[in-house]
Amino acid sequence: MSDATIPSKSIELRVLRYRPASDREPVLVSYRVAYSDDMSVLQALQSIKDTQDGSLSFRWSCRMAVCGSCGMMINGEPKLACNTFVRDLAPDAVIIEPLQNFPIERDLVVTVGDFVKKIESIYPYIIPKVAKPVEDGAHLQTPAQMAAYESFSDCINCMLCYAACPQFGANPDFIGPGAMALLQRYNGDSRDGGRQFRLDQIHGEDGVWACTAVGICSEVCPKQVDPANAVNQNKTNSALDFFLHYVQPRSQP
Amino acid sequence: MSERRPFHRPQPRHWWAHKPYLAYTVRELSGVAVAVYGAILLAGLICLWRGPEAYAVYRRILSSDAAFAVHLVLLAAMLWHVLTWFQILPKTMPKLILRGRPVPQRQVTAIALLVAMVCSAALLVVVVAIGVTS
Repeated sequence: MSDATIPSKSIELRVLRYRPASDREPVLVSYRVAYSDDMSVLQALQSIKDTQDGSLSFRWSCRMAVCGSCGMMINGEPKLACNTFVRDLAPDAVIIEPLQNFPIERDLVVTVGDFVKKIESIYPYIIPKVAKPVEDGAHLQTPAQMAAYESFSDCINCMLCYAACPQFGANPDFIGPGAMALLQRYNGDSRDGGRQFRLDQIHGEDGVWACTAVGICSEVCPKQVDPANAVNQNKTNSALDFFLHYVQPRSQP
Repeated sequence: MSERRPFHRPQPRHWWAHKPYLAYTVRELSGVAVAVYGAILLAGLICLWRGPEAYAVYRRILSSDAAFAVHLVLLAAMLWHVLTWFQILPKTMPKLILRGRPVPQRQVTAIALLVAMVCSAALLVVVVAIGVTS
């Protein structure tokens, strides 16, 4: 074992805890954790759960910034606990809270139901432009056509962008940056023909127009998806669609 | 029996006054400065329409030290507005793909800023030229 992996220093973690059966409201609870240089905040929380308080609840799965489960507020910033290192936060005490703008279920676990509904509402799958039987081969795409949507397909649904968005904080019905990134992933795909169905979901004040281009969603994104770009380029699309619907006939999904 | 009792934490009231949102707040406020400057120009037009006396009063007010100070502040806000406007520009347009690769957003901002500066300089040259020849 190298020196870097032997816990030699300790740090205070102040975790916002909420146990619905006993707590009237969330309270900060302090824990001291021994850490090594390669320890993530997620590992620090796991160490608390293993050795100090087994009732501490938080979501996690992959431990490598792929699954998007361990998003939380770390010193007020939305971050993935698995790719935030304790060594970068030491020696000061670290405040860990559940993601801002979401109802708290328990401790660091937030309610994700509304977010999943938003994802479902924008037809998150390719609706082929032209029907093509399997025996006719694959739908081909050039590298340039792929580059037009590729970054938007990197979203891991971690919801950090929602926690950073003050407009989502003010209006929980706002479709939000993450769902819009997914929408643009499909609307920007040359093989897709479902653009109109998706645009119909994002008009109005709960759609793209709730966004005021604050832009912090893109800054906190751990995958450089740039959801602010997805939302704001669709304001133009939404406005164009509003005027075009007077002159173009529409089909129903 | 379910023990679910989701707790709704309110959004911090003064979120706009703190980092990282403060830059956004200042950017939006610089838009107010642009509107104020527009109103000053409009007031000049109205005075011009009302006659030589009204326009002379307008020019006298503009030549005061206070008006000069206000214009300096408005100029600074306007320049900030221009810069931040073009910083957002690449967020509001589809990805530019050149030779199969997306053009970096900083490059889009830099080119747009350059075009804005060239246009402003050209306008200044035209205004000065008209002033000199008339």
